[in-house]
Amino acid sequence: MIGRTVLRVVGPLLPSVLIVVAAWWLFLEAFGISPLVGKRPHQVWEYLFTVPEAAAHRDAVFGALGITIRDAAIGFTTGMVAAVVVAMTFVLFRTVEQTFMPVAMLLRSVPLVVMTPLITLVFGRDLLGVAVIGGIVVFFPALVNIAFGLRSASPQATDLVMAYGGTRTTVLRKVAVPTAMPSVFASARISVPSSIIGALIAEWLATGQGIGAEILRAIGGFRYDEVWADIVVVTSVSIVAYAAVGVVESLVLARFSDTR
Amino acid sequence: MASLDRRAFLRTSGLAGLALGLAACGGGGTSTGGGGEGGGFGAVKLQLSWKKNVEFAGEYFADSKGYYKAAGFSQVELLSGGGSGTSVESGLATGRCWIGLSAPTITAPAVLQGAQLKIVGATFQKNPFAIISLGKNPIEDPKALVGKRIGVQDSNELVWNALLKANEIDPASVTRVPFQSDPSMLTSGQLDGYVGFVTSGPVRLKMQGVDATYLLFADHGLPLAAETFTVRQETIDNERDKLKAFLTAEIKGWKDAVADPAKSAEMAANTYGKDLNLDVKEQTEEAKMQNELVVTPDAKANGLFTMTPELIAQNVESLGKAGLAVKAEQLFDLSVLDEVYQADPSLKLA
Repeated sequence: MIGRTVLRVVGPLLPSVLIVVAAWWLFLEAFGISPLVGKRPHQVWEYLFTVPEAAAHRDAVFGALGITIRDAAIGFTTGMVAAVVVAMTFVLFRTVEQTFMPVAMLLRSVPLVVMTPLITLVFGRDLLGVAVIGGIVVFFPALVNIAFGLRSASPQATDLVMAYGGTRTTVLRKVAVPTAMPSVFASARISVPSSIIGALIAEWLATGQGIGAEILRAIGGFRYDEVWADIVVVTSVSIVAYAAVGVVESLVLARFSDTR
Repeated sequence: MASLDRRAFLRTSGLAGLALGLAACGGGGTSTGGGGEGGGFGAVKLQLSWKKNVEFAGEYFADSKGYYKAAGFSQVELLSGGGSGTSVESGLATGRCWIGLSAPTITAPAVLQGAQLKIVGATFQKNPFAIISLGKNPIEDPKALVGKRIGVQDSNELVWNALLKANEIDPASVTRVPFQSDPSMLTSGQLDGYVGFVTSGPVRLKMQGVDATYLLFADHGLPLAAETFTVRQETIDNERDKLKAFLTAEIKGWKDAVADPAKSAEMAANTYGKDLNLDVKEQTEEAKMQNELVVTPDAKANGLFTMTPELIAQNVESLGKAGLAVKAEQLFDLSVLDEVYQADPSLKLA
């Protein structure tokens, strides 16, 4: 069961990886980008695995990647937890939603890059700042999705729970949360790439560590091998994490499917 | 099968459009290179190293007073720099610009990576890089950097590392903070110092009534040139006359600029860098300060942009300290500029 699900989600990734690599190479050739700047797939491979300094290169790239994964995980968790909690509050207390949703949307429309200097000033440049920046990226789309999912609970099921003396909290637990599962996972899936973007922004503007910072330093130092290697690893992680959430989603939804 | 539906048509015409676009891109690079008839050198792009402030006063004079036109260029487009990803070296390597103003610390790694680039002249004989700090928390010696929070732009990555290496400071002992170009991070206490041009930051801070101090990289093991004219090797080989004409126009522009700091500042603030909200008074101060870096005794004797063999040797030595083992002949070629001055000695400063 698990094996087949994994295969079903991951299988289609292989051809898409091939297409991406081919497109990467073709694009650079078609536009005649100098190999000094636009590194080809085989150059990145050589940089990471075959040249004599490859081990040092791998240390640099994967060291930075580790930090970025940590930052993305922090942002992802903060954003998703906050979105679930706030969405539940919205569903339980209508007035809270009517008051805060417009404010949330207004905040959402301020570009994060503009807000970052303020965030670093208030929350600092450590993990707290990373959590806030990454959390903001994940939070808003997830909030809208999850709140919608929670509210699409079946009225009949809700009435049944109420008729048997259940409270609104019981309705939330027994009806709304299982109904919202597809929305939660849909948000989780789109949040994976955005949490990485959030982490990169945080690293670029706030912490100065990880891929988001190193990639720009590599550009400043004309180390385009490293730039492209960074792009490759961070994209791969994004794809793998997306697929991993997809696998978990399939398994969980299969468990909840009879309640839908 | 024969019928051509709308979607298929769009698909094919879209591809054709893409192909046309590609052809235009390909052509753009070479058409600017040709056209040597009657001194008509066509249009070229000059990639600046920073935003359009008074640092490029000579270029503004050369443009507004028609020196570029007189030299045979229909247009010289000044591409604003600053920000990430617009380095002169990548612009030259990809053909986005014909010439650029960069720095040896940025060009040397590109050359070591195999880019065929050369420095053909230096506007700033001494580099204006400095650690700028507040008078009440001064950093006046490299050893004082230990334990401090320093803002470093990504594009200054190499100069910064060079300073640390040249003064044997462990990079881990200094907290490096991401920094764009906002000196207010210094006054708000988020930083103890930052890497910037001595010509701009301290002047701006003083104008705000803040006492600022600085540590010049040039005084601490890095006597590097800056705002260096950088071109592809093929430009020197195949377009020597065009390059000479360009440098002649630049010399004329910079002669005017050093003679008139106020006008330089006015052009930067009111015309070329209009959207940067520059202050004329501040820019005038900057222009006066940068003159000291541009008009050194050697430049007075030999002409603007020239680099003596000693200066080149110093640059190579500094780069070596920064771990960039580049040879003088790999990076510098001042022969073009020498020919310009030989042909017309009146271009030298009176």
